[in-house]
Amino acid sequence: MGANASQLEKEIGADQFPPNEHYIGLVNFGNTCYINSVLQALYFCKPFREKILEYKAKNKRTKETLLACLADLFYNIATQKKKVGSIAPKKFIARFRKENVKFDNYMQQDAHEFFVQLIDSINETIVEKQMSGRSRQQGIDSDQQAGLGGQQDSGGGGNNQQQDHTWVHEIFQAVVTRELKCLNCEAVRSTDEVLNNLSVEVHQNTSITHCLRCFFSTETISAENKVQCENCCSLQEHQKRTRVKKLPTILVLHLKRFQFLGQYNRTLKLSHRVVFPLELRLFDTSSDAVNPDRLYDLAAVVVHCGTGINRGHYIAIVKSHRFWLLFDDDAVDKIDASLMEEFYGLTSEIQKSSETGYILFYQARDPT
Amino acid sequence: MAVQGESGSKEEIKTQFTTIEGVYRLLPLSEYSRPNRVAYNNTAGSGSSSPPVRVSFVCLPPDNNTNSSSCSSVNSSVNGDRTKICFNYGRELFVYTYRGIKKAADLSKPIDKRAYNKEDVPTCHDFNKCTASPDGVCLLVGLFGGQVQLIDPITKEINKAYNTGERLIDKTKVTCVRWIPGSPNQFLASHSSGHMYTYNEELLCGVDRPHYQLFKQGEGYSVYTCKTKSTRNPLYRWVIGEGSINEFAFSPCSKYLAVVSQDGSLRVFNFDTMDLLGSARSYYGGLLCVCWSPDGRYVVTGGEDDLITIWSFQEKRVVARGQGHKSWVTVVAFDAYTTLYSDIDGFDMCNEETSKHNSLSNDIRAKSNNSAPNSRPNSNRNSLASDGLGLNVTSYRLGSVGQDTLLCLWDLKDDVLTQPYRRPRSSTVVSSSGGVGSGYGGHQTGQHLANAKCNNVKESSVGSDSSHHSHSTNSLTAKLANLNFGEKKDREKVEKDHKRSLSLASKNSTQNCKTSVNKNQVGGSTCPSDEVYKSMGTSLCPRLDECPVIEPMICKKIGHERLSGLVFREDCVVTSCQDGCVLTWCRPGKQAVPTPRFSCLAPGPGTEPSR
Repeated sequence: MGANASQLEKEIGADQFPPNEHYIGLVNFGNTCYINSVLQALYFCKPFREKILEYKAKNKRTKETLLACLADLFYNIATQKKKVGSIAPKKFIARFRKENVKFDNYMQQDAHEFFVQLIDSINETIVEKQMSGRSRQQGIDSDQQAGLGGQQDSGGGGNNQQQDHTWVHEIFQAVVTRELKCLNCEAVRSTDEVLNNLSVEVHQNTSITHCLRCFFSTETISAENKVQCENCCSLQEHQKRTRVKKLPTILVLHLKRFQFLGQYNRTLKLSHRVVFPLELRLFDTSSDAVNPDRLYDLAAVVVHCGTGINRGHYIAIVKSHRFWLLFDDDAVDKIDASLMEEFYGLTSEIQKSSETGYILFYQARDPT
Repeated sequence: MAVQGESGSKEEIKTQFTTIEGVYRLLPLSEYSRPNRVAYNNTAGSGSSSPPVRVSFVCLPPDNNTNSSSCSSVNSSVNGDRTKICFNYGRELFVYTYRGIKKAADLSKPIDKRAYNKEDVPTCHDFNKCTASPDGVCLLVGLFGGQVQLIDPITKEINKAYNTGERLIDKTKVTCVRWIPGSPNQFLASHSSGHMYTYNEELLCGVDRPHYQLFKQGEGYSVYTCKTKSTRNPLYRWVIGEGSINEFAFSPCSKYLAVVSQDGSLRVFNFDTMDLLGSARSYYGGLLCVCWSPDGRYVVTGGEDDLITIWSFQEKRVVARGQGHKSWVTVVAFDAYTTLYSDIDGFDMCNEETSKHNSLSNDIRAKSNNSAPNSRPNSNRNSLASDGLGLNVTSYRLGSVGQDTLLCLWDLKDDVLTQPYRRPRSSTVVSSSGGVGSGYGGHQTGQHLANAKCNNVKESSVGSDSSHHSHSTNSLTAKLANLNFGEKKDREKVEKDHKRSLSLASKNSTQNCKTSVNKNQVGGSTCPSDEVYKSMGTSLCPRLDECPVIEPMICKKIGHERLSGLVFREDCVVTSCQDGCVLTWCRPGKQAVPTPRFSCLAPGPGTEPSR
């Protein structure tokens, strides 16, 4: 392993090695590659890493939360003396297993589920902290206000909104509008939904662009599925469509490659070939979207290798500066961008084992 | 296991499709696939890393006629055996006699068959149509390791190689190789390094690493010459954009070169002067393929945004986008045999253009005069391709294939192609003259159009005169849109006028767009990575609601694997697929292969007929 690590350093070259960057593998504690791969992908999503390190800098001594463990881990990676090597994310995994009973075993788990769980947990911690911080702040405020005899209840609503909005939302949250248009009276009902990632269906020999188009496709609800129109006061045909209203800083796309088959009581992996470009834009933005032209660069890919959801292996491919790196637990390799082709999936339906892109992390390239 | 719940993957593979001109049928006996095919799913060449299967054709001149330059694909059906086909599959390269639609393929007798090293698999190839003789032809083969090979597959007497050994010129994959049109000995090879080299097949490559000297530089590209005492290969090195050059194509008049790159750019150069004439951008991702319309007026690209993009050479702007593929578009090609021309005198748009474009129109004229049987074609489909140059095309047929295993056919009608650029939706400037907008009633309402733009930049070099012109054009366009094909005579008359004024108007609108773009550049940030943002919403990269979006007329799944080749021939369409299948589709009304007494090859499992 040591030899491997120095080889990576050699391959990149001392003069080429990005300053302040560390390529540190994560040791596997028995089927923890689903955690390792997602952590590496997130570490190389720069806006996320910066926020986590910022949290670490601001909160030196806090009670042990998953966020605190993650902050310690990222800090540990970022402050390694060596540029390459590996560390054991022991504390983080222990904490995660403690918090999530479902993951408290040595089985292979779904990397996407872990991602969702992790983001929710981080967000909760921040919200709690904001609330406690604010109640303290409010205490001071009300003291002051009492002293000054100022107005009370100045902006409670605004505060509440702030409470819900954290930097985690800022980074990952997409707001989609689901529109339901009555085909009789043309009245449109729309509901907003916030999503930390988009889970898209996969189809054979398609692109992620097409998967997204299906996700946002317009469908007509007719026949027995007619919906009550409040305007017409009767069941009417409706047109349903989804549009993106707020584009996230990091667009996380989950490819639904695991299909549960009820009649067999097992999950099947769809190894379909789904190509994903290094650049992406969203086509189906709503007319009131703030930044509909946002251009995304592929920052990281969590790859599932193997045959099924509860077996196989996860690795992460990340882009760092000009390099593409492959993190396979504690092993780190520099790879050529053209190798990405190996992770699109298979055209053949017969091979069951495949190395396929499973979670894609696209990072917005905003004009500076 | 048949528990696949995926409906899309089980879609039937088509063996025929119908267009307005009739039924195209797959000819199972004209399949030029890799011989002795192993069972599907077990093919070594279909691995994701093996290069796309590409197809090249050449028609050798007849024995009694030594005028080699007259060989055109038009004659191919008459003397089918003179047509040769080359395709690569995995490590192998095959050259066969292409017997067209009349005779079944005989795969037992390849003219040439070569197997390459795993590291040096063939990626692309091109026949020299200029030097082809009845006895031999020069074939260039680009290899994965960066080498370029020159062979004569017929006589086997030529066997040269460039950039071999230590590969001092370029170590990256050759992505496209082509003879420079009309040149007996010069060719161009592009690499995934983003470099492109001009070679002379008669010259040697230097034994030392070439030293380059800057020769010409422009926005996003530079050209170098080789600094040596004696002339050596490469003659020139072009460095274009960032990332791989994926394909390039010479214009029909041979004068211009269109290059598409992984950085999402289309760049069109004057090949001789090495000047950049125009550019466009993908919606996102790399552009993978490029082709010219038979009359040289349009350049079409396809790429990783699943779109095809139509760019007007005269107006230097994106005029339309095509949406229909479900994955990356790998090949775009015009069907020169299914292009609609109008009866009227060959009205040349170039005449109306400024002196800058005069060279082009002259060139096209020269070309059309040279082509021997220059009869005036009727408004028929299936008219001859070579006669189309300099004529008035009213509808182009375009084909595209992609990684989605789909073949799409598109009809590009001139009323779509000549719609002016619509204003970006984010722009805050509102047209000051209300009357102008109403002239556009025939088109989508609520859209701000180019005429608004004209008003918007009145202070620029184009005066109020121009907005007057575009106004009249627009109303004509609207009128035209309401005309149907039945009123042919009237239509033509209108069209003639329409075209004249339109070329003026569109020219103006382009200029105006340019002005506004420049303004943005001055006002905005100058960070180079912002370039993609600047081009978004301009005529270089219009949003989907800012230009006409066309849909394919035909969209059919024709293979199991991603498609990688598409060639339109006079009597057939040839497609190739990553699994090594080279298929021939008989055009409507053309006679198919007669049923043979015995079948020399069974159609492979990959092409099981499923009618």
